[in-house]
Amino acid sequence: MISLYYFGAISLILIGMYAVLVKRNLLKMLVGLSIMETGVNLLLISIGYVSNRTAPILSEGATPQNTVDPIPQALVLTAIVIGVATTALALTVVINLYSKYKTLDVEEIRRLRG
Amino acid sequence: MSQYASLLIALPLISAFFVPIIKRISRDAIMPYLSLITLIQTGVAAWAFKEVYTTGKPIIIMAGGFKPPVGINLYIGHFAALFILIVALASFIMAVFSRKAISIEPKDKYAMLFLLLMLGATGMIATGDIFNLFVFMEITSISAYALTGYNKTGEASEASMKYIILGGIGSSFFLIGVALLYGSLGTLNLAQIAQLAGNMNATVAQAALALIIFGLAVEAEIFPLNAWAPDAYQGAPHPITAMFSAFVVKAALYAMARILYITSSASSWSNVLRLLIVLGTLTVIVGEMSALRQKNVKRMLAYSSIAQVGLIAVGFALGTQAGVNASVFHMFNHAIVKALLFLAAGYVAVELGGTELEKFEGLGRKMPLTAFSITVGAVSIIGIPLFNVFWSKLRLILAALSANYAWIAALVLGASVVEAVYYIRLIHLMWFKGEGEKMEENFVLGGIMVLLVAAIIIIGVYPGPVWNIVQKAGSDLFNVANYVKNVPLLGVSP
Repeated sequence: MISLYYFGAISLILIGMYAVLVKRNLLKMLVGLSIMETGVNLLLISIGYVSNRTAPILSEGATPQNTVDPIPQALVLTAIVIGVATTALALTVVINLYSKYKTLDVEEIRRLRG
Repeated sequence: MSQYASLLIALPLISAFFVPIIKRISRDAIMPYLSLITLIQTGVAAWAFKEVYTTGKPIIIMAGGFKPPVGINLYIGHFAALFILIVALASFIMAVFSRKAISIEPKDKYAMLFLLLMLGATGMIATGDIFNLFVFMEITSISAYALTGYNKTGEASEASMKYIILGGIGSSFFLIGVALLYGSLGTLNLAQIAQLAGNMNATVAQAALALIIFGLAVEAEIFPLNAWAPDAYQGAPHPITAMFSAFVVKAALYAMARILYITSSASSWSNVLRLLIVLGTLTVIVGEMSALRQKNVKRMLAYSSIAQVGLIAVGFALGTQAGVNASVFHMFNHAIVKALLFLAAGYVAVELGGTELEKFEGLGRKMPLTAFSITVGAVSIIGIPLFNVFWSKLRLILAALSANYAWIAALVLGASVVEAVYYIRLIHLMWFKGEGEKMEENFVLGGIMVLLVAAIIIIGVYPGPVWNIVQKAGSDLFNVANYVKNVPLLGVSP
């Protein structure tokens, strides 16, 4: 069961990497980057997952014996925040590029720059 | 008392958030404020340096008083103390230079990002936790992306975009590596990883380390992932270029070396070393060959910087104490020389409006002091005796020979020859071509350049004292058992 999560995470990473490396549209490349980050986050979460256990939140009936590992979840929270910041910054740069070159195609931008 | 060293992280962070208030008071106060904060940071770093080197003990700061591995700790050992001082000093110089070089608004955003860049590099060097390292790396790289695109020209935006995409891939790789390490060892603390690394499955260790090296290679400008560097160096504001070369790269290289050496008890470790040696060699070759063809001085310096980084990586990958010492020495020297070269080239660009090779014709007549500084920097980086880089290149060659890698000695010498070709071309252009009237040179910047030139020559003539410091810093990196012993781990034994 757990290997299914690993499989899913790795495929997400590879799909994202494919999009970044092959697509020519900047927005699609950024979407690829986000997919890749999601895959990494899923990988981290599944490393801390123990089957049939609950979320590591201090509540009724949650003891250290029946919750999953909380550290990867903390890591993923941080990684998500970082990912959002990177994406936001990247989008502002894309806006800038579009206003300069009137295109989002990577090859076109390279050609226009000369 | 030693807890005051946490100011190294706290001060730039809190001052960055005070910038909007300063701006509300007076727009003209932003740049002096930036210089003041970096000066205070330099003072704190100098105090930490003195403290570490007189007591011989590292400063350990435990966040919130929790002992590691439960809490996150900072580890300011011999290496970190030295390089935090370099980071702070280089930032101070560049903050002074920014007053002249940065004319585009919004300066308040520039000051904030500048402080965050310094914070990120300091944190990467000081931290003792691998995920914390990731967070500081992201702080560094996000502020670096933004600063690369600060000029808002098409070229700068494109360079920033390239950097963001490569940096995103790199940080994902790094995080996968951290996930693998955490999955197999159950800890994120560097000292505890060092304790447990011997039990790691050989394949997992190899994959994790390779991924981490590739992840850090973006920031460290190692070959397959350094395509962003020349564009970013060219597009970024001049002080930022110097900061990239002087310490952002160094912080990533340090992180790479630290993670590499703490896992040295893993059984597949030598394969990882071989990977890094190949990558480093390719970096040197590609960097030097590309530097030869450049028509823009800033771009040429960027490629030269990449080549030096390759040499440093090769030194770390030798896997011996001598190799690590040589690399640390080269990092130290390269930081001084490249700070000087980028400062001088940036100053020329501010005064004459560009860094194309033609702009440097007759510089010896127009701006003799700047031209002299560039000449000293160039001669030093070629590796002429009596200048500082000569000694680190010599140490690198000796270390390579004693580790039975004779071809690395050939690589270093070959790289020096290629460097000689393009740097002497630049020197020739400055002194023997073109005409020009003598111009007024800025007193403060001139003074800084003279100080850096003096540092280059003094270290070149008397390398002894610095070499002693560097040896201590190198053994801090190499001697993992000592590192583990110094961190007060909470109730865990291997």
